[in-house]
Amino acid sequence: MDRKSKRWLSAGTAVVLAATLMAGCGGNDKNGGAASPADKGPGGGAAADKPFAGKSISLVTANHPWADAIKPLLPEFEAATGMKVNVEGYFEDQLTQKLTVQFTAGSETPDVFMYRPLQEGKLFFKNGWLQPLDEYVNKDADYDFADLSKSAVGTATVDGKLAGIPIITEQEILYYRKDLLEAAGIAVPKTIDELVAAAQKLHDPGKGMYGFVARGQRSPLVTQVSSFLYSEGGDFMNGDRATINTPEAIKAFTTYGKLLKDYGPPGVLNMSWPQAFGIFGQGKVAFLTDANSLYKNATDAEKSQVADKVGFAPFPAGAAGSKPYNITSWGLAVNAKSRDKEAAWAFIQWATSKEIVLKTQEKGNPGARASVWDNPQGTTGFPAELVEVIKMSVKGGVDHDRPTVINVGEARDAVGEIVQKIITGEANIQPVADKANEALQGVIDLDKNK
Amino acid sequence: MPYKWFDRNLKWIYVLPAVAFVLIMMLFPILYTVRISFFEWSMSAITPPKWVGLDNYLSLLRDERFWRATRSTLYFTVVALVIEVVLGVAIAVLLSREFRGKNLVKTVFLLPMVATPVAMGLVWLLIYEPTIGAANLLLESIGLKPLLWLASPVQAIPSLIVVDVWQWTPMIALIVMAGLATIPSEPYEAADVDGAGRWRKFTAITLPLLKPTILVAAMLRLIDVLKTFDIIYATTQGGPNLATETLNIYGYVLGFQYFKLGTASALLVLFFALVMGLTLLLVWLRKRVEGQYD
Amino acid sequence: MTRRKRTARLILGLLTFLVLLAFAFPFVWMLLASFKTQSQIMSTDQLLSFKPTLANYTSVFGEHDFLGYMINSLIVGVGSTAFALLLGLPAAYAIARYHLHRLGLVILVARIIPGITFLIPWFILFSQVKLVDTYTALILSHMLVGLPFIIWIMISFFEALPKEIEEAGLIDGCNRHQVFLRVILPISGPGMITASLLSFIFSWNNFMFSIILSGEKTKPLPVAVFNFMSYAEINWGALMAAACIITLPVLIIALLAQRYVVNGLAAGAVKG
Repeated sequence: MDRKSKRWLSAGTAVVLAATLMAGCGGNDKNGGAASPADKGPGGGAAADKPFAGKSISLVTANHPWADAIKPLLPEFEAATGMKVNVEGYFEDQLTQKLTVQFTAGSETPDVFMYRPLQEGKLFFKNGWLQPLDEYVNKDADYDFADLSKSAVGTATVDGKLAGIPIITEQEILYYRKDLLEAAGIAVPKTIDELVAAAQKLHDPGKGMYGFVARGQRSPLVTQVSSFLYSEGGDFMNGDRATINTPEAIKAFTTYGKLLKDYGPPGVLNMSWPQAFGIFGQGKVAFLTDANSLYKNATDAEKSQVADKVGFAPFPAGAAGSKPYNITSWGLAVNAKSRDKEAAWAFIQWATSKEIVLKTQEKGNPGARASVWDNPQGTTGFPAELVEVIKMSVKGGVDHDRPTVINVGEARDAVGEIVQKIITGEANIQPVADKANEALQGVIDLDKNK
Repeated sequence: MPYKWFDRNLKWIYVLPAVAFVLIMMLFPILYTVRISFFEWSMSAITPPKWVGLDNYLSLLRDERFWRATRSTLYFTVVALVIEVVLGVAIAVLLSREFRGKNLVKTVFLLPMVATPVAMGLVWLLIYEPTIGAANLLLESIGLKPLLWLASPVQAIPSLIVVDVWQWTPMIALIVMAGLATIPSEPYEAADVDGAGRWRKFTAITLPLLKPTILVAAMLRLIDVLKTFDIIYATTQGGPNLATETLNIYGYVLGFQYFKLGTASALLVLFFALVMGLTLLLVWLRKRVEGQYD
Repeated sequence: MTRRKRTARLILGLLTFLVLLAFAFPFVWMLLASFKTQSQIMSTDQLLSFKPTLANYTSVFGEHDFLGYMINSLIVGVGSTAFALLLGLPAAYAIARYHLHRLGLVILVARIIPGITFLIPWFILFSQVKLVDTYTALILSHMLVGLPFIIWIMISFFEALPKEIEEAGLIDGCNRHQVFLRVILPISGPGMITASLLSFIFSWNNFMFSIILSGEKTKPLPVAVFNFMSYAEINWGALMAAACIITLPVLIIALLAQRYVVNGLAAGAVKG
């Protein structure tokens, strides 16, 4: 019996091995086979008015509501142009990683991709990875490039060249709990001082109630502390000089850090926006400052228990008034090595046209076109109260929310360290800020040689 | 005749395909990384890499953050590995006896290792959430004070160690169980005759016979603990205040967030040397142990 | 005496249960969360009592081609494990029997190199030969993870086998190759299953290589999980549902393999 069972086992192993080998090959074949007829489809029905018949481009997007809004519209575009658009979506960190690897290897794909102008724009452009779009935007008068907001276009411009087309804009605003403020008889804070006072009043950790929450993670917090910085009259840099150790900067960082340290929930040091919105949506926090584009996390009953109690207000004013950031958070760009730049641009031109921006904005994606914002239909995707706040925020807004250098990652870490040290209770912050300022200066100096 | 040749050279015919495959897959990445480590390059398609000699290495050795990452890596590795090995062996022995529902227990036990690390990282992130997470609820329910977990620079690494122990102790246990299965029953029978107790049998028979297996398991684990990436990346990304930034994470940050491919490559080369050194140490230990019992 | 034994058994049983509980807890939590809405997940007072919803699962299978991703993962996992076994088993045997430990170390180097080292060079290589977004590229890259593991586990397994078994085979008139195929492999079931299980799992869970080398056609599950995280929201419920679905197939494999391991041991093959 022993021998027999052994032989059987060995034969069994061989069969399993062979079967798995074939499964591997079979899968390959099936996929290849399925792809080819699909490719022929549009080409076969090509008509003279379909300029891109039979062509295809690859589009890489972030996992972003904009991508969700554009996907259902693609068949229409494909039918009109004869072009096939292959879409792939990635979470933002992986998107950067994937794009970086592809561009470093000199890849021809993707043809078009979503990118963050302020985070990677400068580096991508200086590395020669992005095709300048200046010569394309004015080819077609109907496209009306001048309709795109100046500050949004400014954000996407590097060395005087247009690196990409803005698709999403955002500003920092104040989220607050209407019911709590009403019950305590507190007016909506109009200044940072009022915000601190109100947060202190509503802070009651014994009852699981906290005054204020915002991002506390080193790098993510930088963009959200920026509006505090501008409103106190500071900035990350002035020309070629790092300025994150000036009295204004220290005041702004201290305000933000102390708000989180004294009136924030436990664990703020490891919070980015998901955790901050999570705890706000739990009804445990009175105030939150973050980007307006994330508002659904607070007002969607699926995600928030206080959905009907959330109020929006413009960013509170500091010594220099209310100066929130007003930036392009996402843009579309063309790969400099793309084989068919005409087709790539044709897609961007369509995706950022007045008609399509109106459609994506109706789904809650704040775009960059003035005409769409002026169109009453263009604001139906947002709560009425939020629309008012956005219109006010756009006026005094600053066109960046982080240091505008090539190496944004390192610069953000330098700024973030100061704030994190304040949150962990470092009393003597000037030396920390001086050291961080030196680090930021180092990053700026490196830029000059490039 | 060719058959004889085949039989005589069997060992090379058996081993060379695997070695050749590994070398082909590794050679280019290694050469590429070593080469780039002597250059300064932001991956630009316009500006070619600039030769800087050993500058990348020297700047790393002067970099406070590099040493901090080295310390964090070693701290995380040593503590996690020791706990995993001790616990893994204990659990393997515990599960080696027969009882009802053993299969179910073993299967549940496999789960942490099987589950996708990136997804589990997110689960733990929520468990550790100080205000709404399960970890603090548990502490409060037994009357203890809540902790900050990942949000505290001091508690962050221990919290991550817990995750690693949870995830990988089963692997050690599994390997050790496979090893236990190969231990013959004669020594135990002899020990029974001598009237030896449970503990005595464990220390005198099981442990010595298991030593080679345990060392292999520890070595495989050592390499992976040193290189832990997914869990840290999904939970803290190296924070708060760089407390959980290990060498692997710092390498990733340098390469994909700071776009300094040269410095990142230099770090990877140094990191590789560290892992290699520690692995060789364990190999040497294994040889000594084997020498002892051969 | 019997009383003491019974207490000991009780304590051991309790211990087993506690270990089980500790290791299963995050999964119970994950499973529960996959049936909750976002706001229920965020709430502490609805930990156990809540109105379950299937919305997360319908979203996972409805809005995304999860079945397709699962097939991709399966092809790559099975393919890489099978090829790694094909190369790894003979290699491990040769290393164990002929003391080629130095070669074993060469193979181990593959595990020592930090994964991110491979990303850019591999992408360059695979795009040169137009293999990006193919199963071939994914299988080859995942093999580099699985192969060293299989070899190292099997080395210690083969070393533990009594030499007499082989000698008996040789006396029976087999040559060494036949001994390996007909005598050694059939009794190596438990070791092989442990090794291939681990190799398969590593492939199933691999994220770093997959994200670089896969594309829309070959996207495996771990990359697809991130479909539920986006710039504007993290859909925890769907994320947990996806995590449950990823875990389920491997769980089934583990269950089936368990029986195989136990049977193999029960047959007493190792003791000969």
